[in-house]
Amino acid sequence: MRRPKLRKYLRPRTLLLAGAALLAALAIYVAYLDFTIRTQFEGKRWALPARVYASPLELYPGKKISAAQLSEELAVLNYRHGTLDEPGTYLRDRESIELVSRPFAFWDGAQPALRLAIAFSGKQISKIDNLETGQALPLVRLDPLLIGGIYPAHNEDRVLVKLDEVPPILIKALTAVEDRKFYEHHGVDPRGIARALWTNLRAGDAVQGGSTLTQQLVKNFYLTSDRTLRRKITEAIMALLLDAHYGKDEILEAYINEIYLGQDGNRAIHGFGLAAQYYFDRPLHQLTLSQAALLVGLVKGPSYYDPRRHPDRALTRRNLVLTELADQHAITNAEYLGAKTLPLEVATRAPMGTSPYPAFLALVHRQLRSDYSDTDLRSEGLRIFTTLDPHVQRTAEQALTTRLSTLEKQRRIPANSLEGAIVVTGSENGEVLAVVGGRRSRYEGFNRALDAVRQIGSLIKPAVYLTALSQPDKYTLTTRLDDSPLVWTEPGVKEWAPQNYDREFHGEVELRTALAESYNVSTARLGLALGLPAIIENAHRLGVERNLPPYGSTLLGTIGLTPFEVTQMYQTLASGGFRTPLRAIREVLTPEGAPLKRYSLAVTQAVDPAAVYLTTTALQHVVQSGTATGLGAYLPADINVAGKTGTTDDLRDSWFAGFTGDKLAVVWVGRDDNQTTNLTGAAGALTVWGQMMAQLDPEPLVPAMPESIELVRIDTKTGLRADGGCDGAIEIPYIRGSAPTEPAPCSGHSPVEKIKNWFRRLFER
Amino acid sequence: MKNLCALALLAAVALPGCANFPSPTAEPEALPVTSDNNAVTALAESARQDAAAGRLNAAAANLERALRIEPRNAMLWHELARVNLHQGQPNEAAQFATKSNTFAGDNAALRASNWRLIGQARTQSGDQAGAESAFERAAQFERQR
Repeated sequence: MRRPKLRKYLRPRTLLLAGAALLAALAIYVAYLDFTIRTQFEGKRWALPARVYASPLELYPGKKISAAQLSEELAVLNYRHGTLDEPGTYLRDRESIELVSRPFAFWDGAQPALRLAIAFSGKQISKIDNLETGQALPLVRLDPLLIGGIYPAHNEDRVLVKLDEVPPILIKALTAVEDRKFYEHHGVDPRGIARALWTNLRAGDAVQGGSTLTQQLVKNFYLTSDRTLRRKITEAIMALLLDAHYGKDEILEAYINEIYLGQDGNRAIHGFGLAAQYYFDRPLHQLTLSQAALLVGLVKGPSYYDPRRHPDRALTRRNLVLTELADQHAITNAEYLGAKTLPLEVATRAPMGTSPYPAFLALVHRQLRSDYSDTDLRSEGLRIFTTLDPHVQRTAEQALTTRLSTLEKQRRIPANSLEGAIVVTGSENGEVLAVVGGRRSRYEGFNRALDAVRQIGSLIKPAVYLTALSQPDKYTLTTRLDDSPLVWTEPGVKEWAPQNYDREFHGEVELRTALAESYNVSTARLGLALGLPAIIENAHRLGVERNLPPYGSTLLGTIGLTPFEVTQMYQTLASGGFRTPLRAIREVLTPEGAPLKRYSLAVTQAVDPAAVYLTTTALQHVVQSGTATGLGAYLPADINVAGKTGTTDDLRDSWFAGFTGDKLAVVWVGRDDNQTTNLTGAAGALTVWGQMMAQLDPEPLVPAMPESIELVRIDTKTGLRADGGCDGAIEIPYIRGSAPTEPAPCSGHSPVEKIKNWFRRLFER
Repeated sequence: MKNLCALALLAAVALPGCANFPSPTAEPEALPVTSDNNAVTALAESARQDAAAGRLNAAAANLERALRIEPRNAMLWHELARVNLHQGQPNEAAQFATKSNTFAGDNAALRASNWRLIGQARTQSGDQAGAESAFERAAQFERQR
């Protein structure tokens, strides 16, 4: 019964049908693959990371920078010392520097490469000459430092190049080593496989691979890396299809941009365009024969032949590529011999991963996310110009690491237990110059500058004093405050009896002294008299966005803020009462250099400038004769820094916030586990601030005096109006009409003095 | 007589500003940016050319660049206020003019100019009463010159 059936199946007609079905299935599969490769190849847009640049160094006569400092900056920008033969080179004498700048497309237009002679006098630039035209230039900027990117998935990074930007020798080397018959085969090359086998056997090493460039591209583009036969076959079919649809040049260009060529920390280096920069720090079209040969050699195993980690292997591999080129007469024997003897010439720059300044980059990323989707940031190749000042950033990082280590040693604090964070801004424009997120600033990790919410202690006090000084009829800098014991009760809250840091009470103190010495008791009493709502309102005006609980202890800073938030608060004081949003970004450009968005400077008058002026004067008093006199060890007195120390219970947090004429900086020192540091604000954070600022050569602080302010001579003993008869009287600013009118006993106008004078005159007669 | 003068001045200042807005040439007088630093004056000059050509964004960028060099140059803040006014940003313009005043010292001409600008900004944002009091302040400083 069964036999006829089987026979029925074996009938030629059935077989034919089955074969046809199979062919149809294969055809459908091929059509599917065809569709896949075509849509993907034609729609192929590489996800290009956003590129983030530091602020460019501006050079102009009068700029405070020495020849030594400028050459350090040039070294950071990877300018080569010793020649002037191409962009990115410089020569240095003691008092002058000649350089050829790199061309760069800035936001407001391209600046070509310039040959410059820069003369110095002492610590500043005296003249800049354009060596080609002989003209003196008022201002030039150097190409900005690339400080990282915002990367697509797998942190793939690449610089797209067009085929005509690729040096012909690189293409020759690539085809010679990877795929000799590239221009002849149809996507796969059976003879190539055989030859590769033979060559490799002869050399005893895998010199050539059997896959064509097309196959390698397909593998990178569409397929996972499992090594099954089915995948091999699919790869071959796709390679044939790709070759059938597209020209050799299109395929080659795609290959050159796609291929994986190295790993820089968590950043994957793709394409020859980026590889040229990454390994040789120059554009692809400027590569020499030996450099091109090295890059081609890397295709086979970027990690195994990594020229930085395995220079010997890389050299051997490069020379093998050169031999291959010579064998195929692609280069002359002289060229071969010349290139073979060259060293690797790999740029020595330390690999930077996704960024050397991850804490700053995180801020940039956050500020960008309010305007751009993450997908756009990771794929559109945007060029982002930031406010980072690399010199300030390096100085801040060094100050933090060296000071923390020193403090640990000096004070027998366990090594590496202290952590810290720094934010530095321009005091008038709110541009963020540096962000340090921790001691190990190179590593991405907990960003304390942006994310560590810590109690701010006395850093809140300026909000209390600003509120008081806004009421000139009641409070001036010389108003006497009561620093005697205080017990405060309010419904629902535990009885509160604030203590001073020295556990003593100081009786009657001047208002400015209470702030300078950071007395808690008198500040608390002042704050309670002013009312918490008014103070909290002023804290918000200054820029604190978090909700502040209306409890007495808020007056002494039992509230948590990040160092970045503290910076925003002090920014308003530093810029004379104008709230100035902290900005890390200046401009965003498309990959082609067209302006997309400018983040412009904005200011809003938030608090009375006269009250800010008085508060600033009080903050200068903190540094002159209060808790921050320690700054004198770092900075000359004439800088007139305004600042405030902050220390929290059990010495868990050590803060210093302060500003000069041009810079504002906030430093936090503490432990991640919130245990005691044994450091007050003055013993810890202040020393970091001082060491950092001393190296930044700050401008003196001379706050602009509002019209409503007058200076009045005051006798320090009594706080009354002084005149020439009073020794040691000082000038104190008052809002007009609020200065004491009563003459001091030492002055000629006091009743006592009048009687004394009368007697004096009597006896002199 | 005094009031009449102020009124006349107000009209002279406010009318051309309104009528020709936003042409940057509408303003009666532009005070020169002065500085010992040639970089600052060069940037201010570029900003002026940008503004004249209608490239207001570029003008603002140049002024911000100059302000990075001299953050307390009252003239630069004033120019930035002027550019913002032409950009149709009266609130920003008034703030920059106020900021300029904080650095203006006893430069009455500049203070007058800043108050005029604040007046124009307030007019633009529909605050007529505020504008008039600003023009009044401008007139006061004008008399001090």
